Amino acid sequence: MTNSDFASRCNSHRGYLLRVAVLQLRDNDVAEDVVQDTLLAALQGEGGFSGRSSLKTWLTGILKHKIVDVIRRKRREPVLASLDEECQIDDLDALFDESGHWENPPADWGNPESALSQLQFFDVMQMCLDKLPPNTARVFMMREVMDLTSEEICKELSITPTNLWVILYRARIALRQCLEQNWFASSGRAA
Amino acid sequence: MGLLISCKDASRLISRMQDGNVPFAERARIRLHLLFCDACSGFERQLRFLRAALRSYRQ
Repeated sequence: MTNSDFASRCNSHRGYLLRVAVLQLRDNDVAEDVVQDTLLAALQGEGGFSGRSSLKTWLTGILKHKIVDVIRRKRREPVLASLDEECQIDDLDALFDESGHWENPPADWGNPESALSQLQFFDVMQMCLDKLPPNTARVFMMREVMDLTSEEICKELSITPTNLWVILYRARIALRQCLEQNWFASSGRAA
Repeated sequence: MGLLISCKDASRLISRMQDGNVPFAERARIRLHLLFCDACSGFERQLRFLRAALRSYRQ
């Protein structure tokens, strides 16, 4: 395989990589930079591609590291200062009554999988993700989109497992509430 | 924590189960709770759906 072959094969995954990076970083410019870095690193490290995994998987692996680098740098910026607040579970107690029962039990979503074939559903999901507190969103995406393990996330962000569980719980609670209100309880479901 | 847990505790454990190590005793408590609790069973299904939705979004 010539260099330019390899380059164009890598480049053909640019769209996918950008999508993952934007989902995670929520900043198009930073995402563009990270993808550019990833492709550059891929071309420089071509020898590291064994062909055992798919090219897409290999590139995604490089991208993960680049994104984690960005998040780690941001950790020192004020934007991540509120992380400690988002680790508190007290405000989530309000979801339950004094005996620990749901105040508003989760509704029956019927057969939610059918939503996955509707493009509109993903617009609603994006809207719901955008409404999450910034660090909660970031940590949740590290777990669900980048597929990092709990241990990896705790290590990268220097947080305890308990903090991590609270943040992920917060994200899931908020997301399920938002989807229930904006999709499963509305006409979107029937559309 | 007794054998019977509240929805509050169950919901937190259900979320934690998606992220790895939940000790056997706590998993047993959840299983027992889910046998009797429709609300938390629904919550568990919804969390599994959320994961599937995010996986397919990424593609």
